[in-house]
Amino acid sequence: MVNWTGILNLNVEKKEDKTITKDVYFQGAFKIMRPAYLDKTGQACFYIINPGGGYLDGDRYSMSFTLDEHAELLLTTQSATKIYKTPNQPVVQETEILLKAGSVLEYMPDPLIAYHRARYKQKNVVRMEKGSTLIYTDIMTPGWSPDGEWFSYDSVQLKNEIYMEDKLVVFDHMKLEPECQNMQGIGQMEGFTHLGSMIVVSEKAASDFLDMLYETIDMTSQTYKIGVSSLSIPGFTLRVLATSTQQIEEIFMACHRLIRANWFDKQPIFLRKY
Amino acid sequence: MDNYLLSLIQLCDSNLPTGAFSHSFGLETYIQEDRVFDKKTFSNWLKVFLEEQLVYSDGFACRLTYDMLEEGRDFQDIWRLDRMITMQSLPRETREAGQKMGERMLVLGMALYDFPELSLYKDRIDKMLSFGHPAIVFAMIARHLGVPKFTAMSTFLYSTISGLVQNAVRGIPLGQTAGQQILIESQSHLVDAVKKIDSLSEDDFGVTSPGLELSQMKHERLNIRIFMS
Repeated sequence: MVNWTGILNLNVEKKEDKTITKDVYFQGAFKIMRPAYLDKTGQACFYIINPGGGYLDGDRYSMSFTLDEHAELLLTTQSATKIYKTPNQPVVQETEILLKAGSVLEYMPDPLIAYHRARYKQKNVVRMEKGSTLIYTDIMTPGWSPDGEWFSYDSVQLKNEIYMEDKLVVFDHMKLEPECQNMQGIGQMEGFTHLGSMIVVSEKAASDFLDMLYETIDMTSQTYKIGVSSLSIPGFTLRVLATSTQQIEEIFMACHRLIRANWFDKQPIFLRKY
Repeated sequence: MDNYLLSLIQLCDSNLPTGAFSHSFGLETYIQEDRVFDKKTFSNWLKVFLEEQLVYSDGFACRLTYDMLEEGRDFQDIWRLDRMITMQSLPRETREAGQKMGERMLVLGMALYDFPELSLYKDRIDKMLSFGHPAIVFAMIARHLGVPKFTAMSTFLYSTISGLVQNAVRGIPLGQTAGQQILIESQSHLVDAVKKIDSLSEDDFGVTSPGLELSQMKHERLNIRIFMS
């Protein structure tokens, strides 16, 4: 049996015009606050809290989120995920997400900071029903070390599997192992330090959305590098190589604003954390 | 002489009309950004592409298909792999290149050889149940010809690499001799890649490098393109 360091299970449902908690359970090193309602759309916003402040050697975290039909949830963290050195066992985090028909999940956690000699394995599995929407982002920083050296962690592995009606539609797998790779070389980080990923799956993603994105975001900037491409089903992936978390957040924000305005007729949202 | 030798050479020949000559897998983006411009910079890209992408995707899929056929596993496992190798490719052009080249190699294989796996696969693609991928088709044909596993894996990688070298000769451009030198120099990398693939576990499937993937995505919007990916 797996001994979890932290467990968090959340199930939300839509009651009249508002998304509310149907069921919530947390244990160990995870906590979640009561939902905030940041605008008048009825979308619930939850902050995931790691009271210990960071992930330690051998920690195992399990999260599961279920959105009932037409529920709308904005999920984020209270602060960056810090992974301290893991001399014995990598830190593992596994997340299962179920999006029922018509539900909308915006899952935008804070950046990941892997410390000197840290190993981290993250796996997200998202099961979507027809008509649901997923907006997912993550940001990987070059980590932290006492002497200020970048990429001094051992390995960070991020895996995303997305299923639409039980069929695999996205398989995203990044694994950075600075010791075995030339991080600054061609094909890897190419002189940049931060990596941002955004995956969006939605029936509302029309093929001209990427054109709009190209008009909104400066794709030719030399201070960051962006790639964006359509998935095999309506939706897209956006990847950014940049030199700061803020740069990536601004690009995600621009994209997010476009999505909210065009698909959901919603105002932009600002996550008030600090 | 091994019975499979000449057939295997035919299968790896860059004249085999699978459409490989029109795909650069993001190389063209680097050429236009002036990051790949000569023999040295191209060799460097090719090594990274082999070690950081092909090993975990196409090369691994080739090995897994071969293993599954050898073990007489249920075909559902191969169809599942076909979906995984297709969906792990987030850049659209690279994903579509795999589908197109896979189907062309499949149709060609059916015209040359007669064994049930190929027509089963083709049938699923026609019904839009599967997607098609050259790594899977190559492994099916190689195993049918009696090619040993390691030979199948290294010749599959060789055919991919030699196709890219030819494209680089045209696209950068490089001299023909330089191209052949790069191929010779790639041999030791290929041997290492095959060993690496053999040591992988399922958890390693589909790893990509950020820069390689980004250049494949950016290719969609290049102003001048001589390649389709």
